[in-house]
Amino acid sequence: MAKPTDLVQGTLDLLILRTISLEPKHGWAIAKRIQQVSRDALQVQQGSLYPALHRLEQQGWIAAEWRPTETGRMAKFYALTGDGRAQMQKELAAWNRLSAAIDLVVQEV
Amino acid sequence: MRALRKVRLRLRSLFHRRSVEYELDAELQFHLDRQIEENLGSGMAPGEARRAALRVIGGLTQYQEECRDMRRVKLIENFAQDLRFGLRTQRQAPAFAAVAILTLALGIGANTAIFSVVYAALLRPLPYRQPDRLITLGEVRSQENLSGPLSLESWNASYPDYLDWRAQSKTFESLAGFTGDGFTLRGAGEPETVLAAQATTNFFSTLGVKPFLGRDFHAGEDTAAGPYAAILTHSFWKNRFGGDARVIGRSIQLDSNSVTIVGVLPAGFEFAPQGNVKMWVPLHIAGDLVTRRSLRWMRVIGRLARGGTSAPARAEMDLINARLAAAYPGQNGAIRIVMAPLRDRIVGQIRPVLLVLFGAVGFVLLIACANIANLLMARAARRRKEFAVRTALGAGRGRLISQLLAESLIIASAGAALGLLIAQYGTQMLIAAIPQALLDSMPFLRDAHADPVVLAFLFCTMILTGAAFGLAPALEMFNRNIGTTLKDESRGSTGGVRTQVRQALVIAEIAFSLVLLVGAGLMVKSLTALLDRNPGFDTRRLLTFSVFLPPAAYPKDPDIIRFDRDFMDRMRALPGIVGVSSTSVVPLTGGGNTIRFAIEGHPVATGQENECSIRDVSSGYFSLMGIPLVAGRFFNDADDTAAGPMRVIVNQAWVKRYLPGEDASGKRIRFTYSPSQPFRQVAGVVGDIADAALDSYNEPILFAPFRQDAGSFITYVVRTAGDPAGAIGAVRAALRNIDPQLITIIPLTMDQIVAQSPSVFLRRYPSLLIGSFAALAMILAVVGLYGLISYSVSQRTRELGIRIALGAQSGDVVRLVVGEGARLTMMGVGVGVLAALSLTRLMRSLLYGVSAVDPSIFGSVALLLTVVAAMACYVPARRAMRTDPIVALRYE
Repeated sequence: MAKPTDLVQGTLDLLILRTISLEPKHGWAIAKRIQQVSRDALQVQQGSLYPALHRLEQQGWIAAEWRPTETGRMAKFYALTGDGRAQMQKELAAWNRLSAAIDLVVQEV
Repeated sequence: MRALRKVRLRLRSLFHRRSVEYELDAELQFHLDRQIEENLGSGMAPGEARRAALRVIGGLTQYQEECRDMRRVKLIENFAQDLRFGLRTQRQAPAFAAVAILTLALGIGANTAIFSVVYAALLRPLPYRQPDRLITLGEVRSQENLSGPLSLESWNASYPDYLDWRAQSKTFESLAGFTGDGFTLRGAGEPETVLAAQATTNFFSTLGVKPFLGRDFHAGEDTAAGPYAAILTHSFWKNRFGGDARVIGRSIQLDSNSVTIVGVLPAGFEFAPQGNVKMWVPLHIAGDLVTRRSLRWMRVIGRLARGGTSAPARAEMDLINARLAAAYPGQNGAIRIVMAPLRDRIVGQIRPVLLVLFGAVGFVLLIACANIANLLMARAARRRKEFAVRTALGAGRGRLISQLLAESLIIASAGAALGLLIAQYGTQMLIAAIPQALLDSMPFLRDAHADPVVLAFLFCTMILTGAAFGLAPALEMFNRNIGTTLKDESRGSTGGVRTQVRQALVIAEIAFSLVLLVGAGLMVKSLTALLDRNPGFDTRRLLTFSVFLPPAAYPKDPDIIRFDRDFMDRMRALPGIVGVSSTSVVPLTGGGNTIRFAIEGHPVATGQENECSIRDVSSGYFSLMGIPLVAGRFFNDADDTAAGPMRVIVNQAWVKRYLPGEDASGKRIRFTYSPSQPFRQVAGVVGDIADAALDSYNEPILFAPFRQDAGSFITYVVRTAGDPAGAIGAVRAALRNIDPQLITIIPLTMDQIVAQSPSVFLRRYPSLLIGSFAALAMILAVVGLYGLISYSVSQRTRELGIRIALGAQSGDVVRLVVGEGARLTMMGVGVGVLAALSLTRLMRSLLYGVSAVDPSIFGSVALLLTVVAAMACYVPARRAMRTDPIVALRYE
């Protein structure tokens, strides 16, 4: 398997927001979920994940809460806020525009 | 909503750091544990699982740091840390901190004190409605331009002209007139002289001031036989009437009239042009004052119409003036109308003083900053190793600079706090040093204090100064190679950027203090010249006071003359009194009447007659005052009788202006206000006197015998054998003996008049203040120079040791060290002289009898600074001379 591609700058925020948009998750679960859904293509480094989570929390797009996991341990769960949902829609739209544009160029040549 | 949450999160990160940190630990630990679990699940041994997990996760600590960064509070935290560290640093060097803080406190305190006064006088709006629409107007004769600057004080208008202005002007919403007045208040308690003012009934509405109690004047209350209504100032109401609201409607006795109190002014009311008056009454004038256009006595203010500016108003007034000149060529032909903002009339005199003081005190602050920057840089040099170590341990340059700035801000805020105290006392002292009479004409100065604007000024000064002297050593950090510092602490000799900056600072300090010393020198020389000026009469042991004879009790001239003769006789009989005379205006106080005249054989066009001051004096006036006779003779007792021959006496300035090169005595003149005026012969010519003020030009004056035009308001001059102030009691008793209803009005010795006169005050005040600023500046500059040279000597110990070992004599060493200081001093003096040459021009209006570039002042100040600086260098030079070469070489 090739080395996982580094995430395009700025897309990590979108991935995180999207991943927790269905239900609150803790950091580990977010990383695992992104890895699974992308079929191991995207591996989020812890070194980027946690600072990103703290930044998003600071922006007010996600809110953190300590809750017990299914195994009974306490973990910090992140949930999307109303502002966060709006932000996600914005970033999603931007991403779609960008990827569609890149697609066009890539397939044209 | 989101912004609110953000703030809350930041505050939490800032103030609940421990729990935030704990959560961060727990969160990352959780992640680590899950990774280990996963590794175990994939069949790793426990030890291996943990190691692998840690490998994947990488440096935990680094993540934590990054997460903290994301919380964006690092900046604040770092700064707080810098502040704490800065405080510790200051505690380690208390002497340094004390010197720096005290220096700065003096600088900031003095600046804030001066600024409080500047703000109160020049910046704060006048306490009237839309004060920028208030204008002061007056009529001047074009020929008054001939000598001296136009004084706003002398801007008056005649009543008929005022009425015409009022009727014709459309650019002014309203025009109001006022003039000084005074009464003897009788009734409750002792009779009291009350300074008052009379004004047109629209005066307060023009200012936009409403009475605090009662009502404003009604139109029509200005009757000649009045006054019948009075409005009290707040303080007079409190002091004389106990603040009783029932005074409204009460009657008081003013002179011989029964007057009703109709209102009380608000507590903050002030009207500087009328000084410290206690009550206002409607205009009550009669006779000539009402009808004669050539009697210009009323001061006029106007409120521009809404949205109006002064330019169209000026054009309109010129037009009205031209119409009046055409209609009344005899009275108004030579008149022009002058206008200025009301504020100019109020603060015009003090403005240059305050601006010069503000500039001077700003220099002091600059010097203080330069000095502290110098100290900080010297200290930074000693702390080089500390900074190098911290850099090596990973502190960024930004961090080090922020720490230096934090330290300087600590000094600045401590200095500002102490400075605020100094400013409080300083402001009080600044105000207390102003003579009472002058303070009355600048009432707004009384409430100069640290109000919010002043505090804002203080705060900005603090931040600016802190940055100014903190930045010098901080920026210097950029220019240094940390590596070499660690390897080698201060080997070798002086040089490098640091020293250059410090030298530049010392040069600037010397230059600034030279400017201040020159300014102080010029002011002191002006003051001495002014006080040395011969006013043309003998000011020693002279008492002056006035008496007002109520027309009800003294209706006719013979009554007044009888009183006058009787009173003077009684005073002459008093022990300790050498002589007594009277005049209508005491010299050095200004004001008084003017008269138009024509000289026989010198025909002039109607309306273009000469006009000069006229003084009604008793026969012994000139010999009593010590005014010398130049030609002819003084008045004798035969002249000074109601029916005596019509004679006048003129002064030399009069002859010089109106009969240049001729012998004036024996010439005849005629007053032109009435065709029936007889010719009057010039009996003699006397010396010039300083009439309006000590610094005024010699104006032409006519003297006429008092008893030929006896007025109800007589001013007596009394020459005493001893202290003139001691004679007041006896004089007062003599007056009571004649008529218990009469009182001595404003008794003052001539020394008091001189001391309180604006011309003297306007020099003495800045002399004193700039003098102290300059002394402070010089001390600071010399300390700065001393510090720099001492430092340089300590840095050059090795070099000096080698020189001495190689045979340098102590004289050579002293020359070397003093030479370095002398070079800096010379540069400072050079720069300072150039700066002073251009800056002292700004204070020209304050100078008297001395040029703004007076070479003797410049020379002596430069010499003084050089000598003091050389002495400051000599101390470290002696230390250098005693350098033991063995010790110096082993020193490394």
